Amino acid sequence: MRATVGLILLAVIGVGVGISLLAIPFGAPKTEIGDYYIENAREDTGATNVVTSVVVGYRAFDTLGEVTVLFVAALGLGAVLATAGGKRGRSGVEPASLILSAGNIFLFPLILLFGAYIFTHGHLTPGGGFQGGAVIASAFLLVYLSSPGKRINESGASLTESVSGLVFVAIGLLGLTHGTHYFLANFLPKGALNTLFSAGIIPVIYCAIGLKVGSELAGVVDNLMEETE
Amino acid sequence: MVSPVLLLAVPLGLALCVPLVGRVSRRAAGFVPVIASLFNLVVSIRLLPTVLEEPIVANLGGFPPPFGITLFAGPVGMLLSALIALAGLVVSLYALSYIKTGPTVRYHTLYMLLLVGATGVVLTGDVFNLFVFFEILCISSYALVAYVGDRAGIEASVKYLIQGALGSALLLIGIGLLYGLFGTLNMADIAARIDSVDSVPVFVAMALIVVGLGVEAAIFPLNAWLPDAHSSAPSSISAILSGIAIQVGLYAVVRMVFTVFGASSVLLFFVFLGLLTLLIGELCAFAQNNIKRMLAYSSIGQMGLIMFALAIATTGSVTGGLFQMVSHTLSKALLFLAVGYMVYRSGSLEISSLEGMGRRMPLTSFAFTIGVFSLVGLPPFIGFPSKLLIVRSALAEQGVLLQVLIGLVLLATVIEGAYFFRVIQTVYFKKEEGQEARQDAPPMALLSMFVFVAFIVVIGVYPNLITDVLESGASELLERANYIGSVLG
Amino acid sequence: MSFLHDYVYYIGAFGLVAIGLLIILVKRNLIKLIIGLSILDTGVNMFLISVGYIRRGTAPIFSRPGLEPDGMVDPVPQALVLTAIVIGVAILALALALAVRFYKTYGTLDLRKAKELRW
Repeated sequence: MRATVGLILLAVIGVGVGISLLAIPFGAPKTEIGDYYIENAREDTGATNVVTSVVVGYRAFDTLGEVTVLFVAALGLGAVLATAGGKRGRSGVEPASLILSAGNIFLFPLILLFGAYIFTHGHLTPGGGFQGGAVIASAFLLVYLSSPGKRINESGASLTESVSGLVFVAIGLLGLTHGTHYFLANFLPKGALNTLFSAGIIPVIYCAIGLKVGSELAGVVDNLMEETE
Repeated sequence: MVSPVLLLAVPLGLALCVPLVGRVSRRAAGFVPVIASLFNLVVSIRLLPTVLEEPIVANLGGFPPPFGITLFAGPVGMLLSALIALAGLVVSLYALSYIKTGPTVRYHTLYMLLLVGATGVVLTGDVFNLFVFFEILCISSYALVAYVGDRAGIEASVKYLIQGALGSALLLIGIGLLYGLFGTLNMADIAARIDSVDSVPVFVAMALIVVGLGVEAAIFPLNAWLPDAHSSAPSSISAILSGIAIQVGLYAVVRMVFTVFGASSVLLFFVFLGLLTLLIGELCAFAQNNIKRMLAYSSIGQMGLIMFALAIATTGSVTGGLFQMVSHTLSKALLFLAVGYMVYRSGSLEISSLEGMGRRMPLTSFAFTIGVFSLVGLPPFIGFPSKLLIVRSALAEQGVLLQVLIGLVLLATVIEGAYFFRVIQTVYFKKEEGQEARQDAPPMALLSMFVFVAFIVVIGVYPNLITDVLESGASELLERANYIGSVLG
Repeated sequence: MSFLHDYVYYIGAFGLVAIGLLIILVKRNLIKLIIGLSILDTGVNMFLISVGYIRRGTAPIFSRPGLEPDGMVDPVPQALVLTAIVIGVAILALALALAVRFYKTYGTLDLRKAKELRW
């Protein structure tokens, strides 16, 4: 019964979407807006990665919202799991093998460095704050796997989270008071193309996002790990 | 000039501060939402006279539309953001005494972010930005519904999350189709180009978006999650979900259908859908024994009424619909706040357990009664002028169909009156074994309830206080050309 | 064949969407539902990306001087997908946390066993 209804519903959606997709030919030339971004992004924002200039330049407000969504989810996850009653240690977990724990000692700083590289170079190469943050969180995941007793410093993580989020909002508000007087406007010098210190506020925002996402995802992993007995 | 972006940036910044404040003092964290809502209320009210003359369009990042994201602060946006701030302020005062246990710092942060999401939805002028703020609103409500962590809360939150996430996915497909068809995400830009594309794909995109947003707006048949979620959440959250969240969802539907798609041909369908939602909501509410579930079903009914009024799409009826939104926010939030402490004192959600509350909690019961009278539409409370306006403007239309439909609306109001007066009767006129000592709600909670009572009575007696805003809001929604003109210049 | 060739990404994306939707409509195990949501999200993201694709296009990054903007794909859908992925992750994380709580409360992941809320 359920399956039949589901299939009928799917068929209706499928036909509708199929018809409308015929109006959006695949692989067709770009839209006007896409063309505009590709032509003008370097001049407008100073970033050579056009996707970054869209994410943190033209549509930076979306990114502020996106960071907030992740913040909400991390908080919500903490709230949902916190009411479960006291946190459990993971004493019963078997220690990891020598290879994993020894490898972790070498890899941990390298992964952190790689994550930092990704978010500081977000305006030049593929990557950015979210990707770098995810890489950083994976380093902490590796620590959890290799030495089950270790915990991240939770208050440090939440401090990083709040402060880097505040940096993002503060940069936005500075844009309102400085330069062109628009929220999230680029008020720093744009510098020379294709150099690390260019693109004004973009690398600063991406560093804040990288730290925030890294600490948030590490906190999420930490919360979920505590739940497994 | 004050930029409307402050309505989003400042509360967001303060929300990020709550965990920091919470380190110093858990109690102080509860006051941050109060400050943020107060700020928003002041800014919204200060901006209202400006936007009545001309809507404010803020280009974020300094990029002109359609290349950057724009915020559009018109009369509707400012009215709703003031309403969100008012309800947010009062409910956060209430929460100071109501939310005592559990991870309270996280509660206050999530609560503020919920308000930020709602304000973002009503102010944004960009389709994808709408999606982002909509998700902030939804995800924080999923988490807050499960805040108490009892069996019902977890189950309701899971159901809400699954249905909400399904809706968001459909919404995102719709937005993807829009981008594919028009190559832009700015609402005004899409609206200006809507006739340049074949109507079938546009209709599919609209259907997906309306279904996606309709899950949050509690349009029948997408509202299965609502009675569970609104009845299982802590009462302060129920008040915000019923008073703010679903109305913001409905606003998003209306903004898309009226302004972006300009779809006057499907409005009759929405009239019927609204009426169906109204009747089903009221009939289900009539059958309830659980007081919070009854209020939740009544919210579905009210959403149906608002949708009915808006979909008639005359100046009078849209004004009435917006008025009903204001009236529903104030009355329903008040009811949930009052019921919160009644349920807390009696220890049960059953209506029968409210016997003798009239003597045990006289002030709370009084506030509850005002809320009921206003919701049912008795003078001199705010529900009376709003419902009267809807009925009058519907009757002003020629045509037998609307006359019959308005008869059904009145029937629904009678049902509403019947079940609410049953509760009033239980509260005041049922004898209770063994008199218990008088034990009213704490002063802070009473204060917040009576702020709502004051607004309900004052606007009920002097509806002219807000009619100007409502009327220019109605013309903002109905006149697409003005919207497009003021954004694209 | 040319139809398949022209629309292969759309077909793939909506194949995933259909699988995800069907799982959500039919299955009643919470973890399976979450997997369904995840597949659905992936399909939607793939659809968004393929809207912006142009044939034989390159990434819109001027990583060295002298690159021509001609062959570059539309950057907007990529930016949108970045946002959509993060939002998907956020929902997924919260859903998993709720699943943990659900299992602790009811001792099962079967949604049909939860019967607190029947009117």
